[in-house]
Amino acid sequence: MVSYMASRHRDLTLGAKLLMVNWGLVFLVTLIASIGFAMLYSSAGGSWSPWAGKQVVRFIAGFIVMIGVALVDIRFWARWAYPIYAVTLIGLVAVEVMGSIGMGAQRWIDLGFFQLQPSEIMKLALVLALARYFHGISLEQVGRPLMLVAPLILVLLPVVLVLKQPNLGTATLLMLGSGAIFFLAGVRLWKFAIIIVAVLSALPVVWQFMHDYQKRRVLTFMDPENDPLGAGYNILQSMIAMGSGGITGKGYLQGSQSQLRFLPEVQTDFIFTQVGEEFGMIGGVVLLFLYVCLFAYGIAIGLGCRNQFGRLVALGITTQFFLYVFINMSMVMGLIPVVGIPLPLVSYGGSAMMTLLLGCGLMLSVSIHREHRLPRRVDGLN
Amino acid sequence: MSWRDAPRSPDRAPNQVHVPEGARETFPLRRRVLPMDGVAGQAIETARNRLIVTAALFGLCFIALGFRLVDLSLFQGAEVAAHAHRTPAKLAARGDIVDRNGVLLATNLDTASLYADSTRIINAGDAASALVTVLPDLSRADVEAKLSSGKSFIWLKRNLSPRQQWEVNALGLPGLAFQREERRVYPYGSLASHVLGLVDVDNKGLAGVEAYFDEKLADPARVAQPLTLSIDVRVQHVLADELAGAISRFNGIGGAGVVMDVQTGEILAMVSLPDFDPNDPAAVPPETRFNRVSLGVYEMGSTFKTFNTALALETGSATLASRYDASHPLQVGKHLISDSHPQNRVLTVPEIYMYSSNIGSVRMALDAGTAAQQALMNRLGMLRRTSVELPERGMPLVPKPWLEINTMTISFGNGIAVTPLHLATGVSAMVNGGVLLPATLLKSDHAKAPSGMRVVSEKTSESIRRLMRLVVMRGTGKKAEADGYLVGGKTGTAEKTGANGGYAHKSLLSSFVAAFPMTSPRYVVLAMVDEPRPNKDSAGMATGGWVAAPAVGNIIMRIAPMLGVEPVDEKSPVITEAMYVPMQGEGAE
Repeated sequence: MVSYMASRHRDLTLGAKLLMVNWGLVFLVTLIASIGFAMLYSSAGGSWSPWAGKQVVRFIAGFIVMIGVALVDIRFWARWAYPIYAVTLIGLVAVEVMGSIGMGAQRWIDLGFFQLQPSEIMKLALVLALARYFHGISLEQVGRPLMLVAPLILVLLPVVLVLKQPNLGTATLLMLGSGAIFFLAGVRLWKFAIIIVAVLSALPVVWQFMHDYQKRRVLTFMDPENDPLGAGYNILQSMIAMGSGGITGKGYLQGSQSQLRFLPEVQTDFIFTQVGEEFGMIGGVVLLFLYVCLFAYGIAIGLGCRNQFGRLVALGITTQFFLYVFINMSMVMGLIPVVGIPLPLVSYGGSAMMTLLLGCGLMLSVSIHREHRLPRRVDGLN
Repeated sequence: MSWRDAPRSPDRAPNQVHVPEGARETFPLRRRVLPMDGVAGQAIETARNRLIVTAALFGLCFIALGFRLVDLSLFQGAEVAAHAHRTPAKLAARGDIVDRNGVLLATNLDTASLYADSTRIINAGDAASALVTVLPDLSRADVEAKLSSGKSFIWLKRNLSPRQQWEVNALGLPGLAFQREERRVYPYGSLASHVLGLVDVDNKGLAGVEAYFDEKLADPARVAQPLTLSIDVRVQHVLADELAGAISRFNGIGGAGVVMDVQTGEILAMVSLPDFDPNDPAAVPPETRFNRVSLGVYEMGSTFKTFNTALALETGSATLASRYDASHPLQVGKHLISDSHPQNRVLTVPEIYMYSSNIGSVRMALDAGTAAQQALMNRLGMLRRTSVELPERGMPLVPKPWLEINTMTISFGNGIAVTPLHLATGVSAMVNGGVLLPATLLKSDHAKAPSGMRVVSEKTSESIRRLMRLVVMRGTGKKAEADGYLVGGKTGTAEKTGANGGYAHKSLLSSFVAAFPMTSPRYVVLAMVDEPRPNKDSAGMATGGWVAAPAVGNIIMRIAPMLGVEPVDEKSPVITEAMYVPMQGEGAE
């Protein structure tokens, strides 16, 4: 039975793989992205330029990459997980050393035609590397504290580099996403408790190293109305806009707060505000529901996968997706301080869109190759 | 985040396969993996159970988000919005700007803009008819189309007056609402536009004192304290009015004017034409924002002979009785220096000034020497930017190196280009007893008026006063006479440098700089017209004496009473004595 399954799935033809693509997930991704196009069209005052048109082009490019990634055999990703991680880490060091400086934070390598953000790629590379690591050891080994040193280093290296950039949002995503993989891999809870205590006690030190603008964001979050024109402006305007939407919203292309630019740069991190203003509570709940469906797909893919690597990849990526959505929406609705994290697939921006579609591609790949059994030592495979 | 609620998950030893009974039934998939080896099975078991916990956490988080969304949409957002509208005054506050007498020149106004939620309009036709009665400049058809558009947000009219807002409210139409807006308002429109400057949509200063004092004006702690300028809006109006009249009479392309207090350096009026309305700067081309008074640098021409005469008197190289041969044009290299009012004889120093003789001026300058001329120009501030409180300050164009030929041309105001403000400041120092006071746009406190810097002696200044009066009484500036105000002045007619670097003979810059009353001068008035054309009344002339001098005379006639300058009997012996200039060569005139 085992060998039969293995041989049946080892050499799937391209056509067979295409048939096995989880088209429901693909449809859901496209639907959410289309809501993004509509919102960008609206925030430009009913125009494809400057945002919506570009976003469509980026989505199409990312979509093709996603399908490409999905068709690649899961064993390939398992085998190349560490090299991908290593190259991305080198990229992170490279931006630290010689990256171009923008917005006060060094975040990308300028390839001339394209600006590569290693910190974005790292979100996926870290998931792959951790999944590979925990795939390679037994649950018994997971229980040994010494076995956790290597994965902790895998996490801390990029986190420190990203923090140095400084990019608090991405560092948070990396840490929380990795924490979820550790948890899912079976790391004992008291170890988490130790880490949480360690992080909490490190907070005062972190505060010292934070940039002024980051400190201000946290302080402003405590009381946005204290500084209505300054740093509290975004949160306040965002809440006003959402409130003014009511149950059904002001109607598509009718959001005055967003379109009259009370909220600057609404097309990026604060686009959920516009959804709330134009489509009201109902629009917001519908979008929320679509994301829930997306996560349900991710979790189902993880549950249905027969190998630990694929399961951890699917769940790691789903967790990151979830964190994106949760952090962004909480920020927009004034539940947490402003951190620069976009709303997945909806916010304007190329880098995040590409990362998310790559991630979806990996999830699809896990889904297609769910019946594969991977041996512990992946290197032994062809 | 995902392990926050982790204690819910059953903790167990790694080697133990412990699956709660419930989980067994809930996740039948687990059975399929049982054939795998035990440890891997445990791993998957653990992962699966922990996955359920994670998924549950996701769910909880989303439920929280959902609650927040409902809360914000239905309750809190409206509250926050209401709060934001309740306390708007402090949001865009910016200090007022007033003139020296407290007249409001710039302030902030709350305006209301009318918009409609057309879904709530009961009868678009009736509503449109009613609205048009109150807002007659709206088109009924247009309003009706908007009101029946079905859109829930559509602008009807921006920036209504309070009365209009009241009248719209009185109509009692549902579906209409106002958006509160804050606007910087300049009640005098284009008057003093170059002094005030303008702000952008966020009320940030872009030009003029709005930009220069942007920080102060925007400082919430100082908003209550208006910025008091030295400008007198009445004088500003007269200057703008007369200057515009001169420009239109002589078809000039622009003009500049300054009225300055010679005792304090305060600028009472500063006009650059064409100007713009800072309430609506986009209505005219951006070139109109160019400040000719403080930013434009020009070769001022013969008005500089005032400084040249002071130079000669101050250095002692000449006295009022000295004579210079102006019978023949001077050949200097390939240039021929001649007079525009040729007397073709030997002239005394007062005559050289009175007839504006270039030849005589050159000879005087050569006697005084290059070094002395350069030193005086430096003392007068002609070699650096003025310190006036505007971002728009022009840098003079000064010869480098300063050769004898430069000394010669500068004697009659060519070869050095300064702003009209430089000239007015310099002339103030010439007539006020010889002390240079930096030009300022801020009202000065007379108790602590700046002491200034001495540039020429009292005696030289006194002689210059008599000479300037002489120009108006008997020389090139007769048209600047304002009876009883003892006007003294000097004409200037410069040829503008053409695009090819040479002088374009038809493009003139005609100016007149005056002070009054000459017995004890209080104000300097400068008027300059850019590229005037002769008209039928000016006998084919477009010189400073014809174009700018009459304007200055009119200005003084109008502003002297406002400024409390009393007219005197010019024929009285005291005045005649005070203004006496010995004229040895008088017979020739």
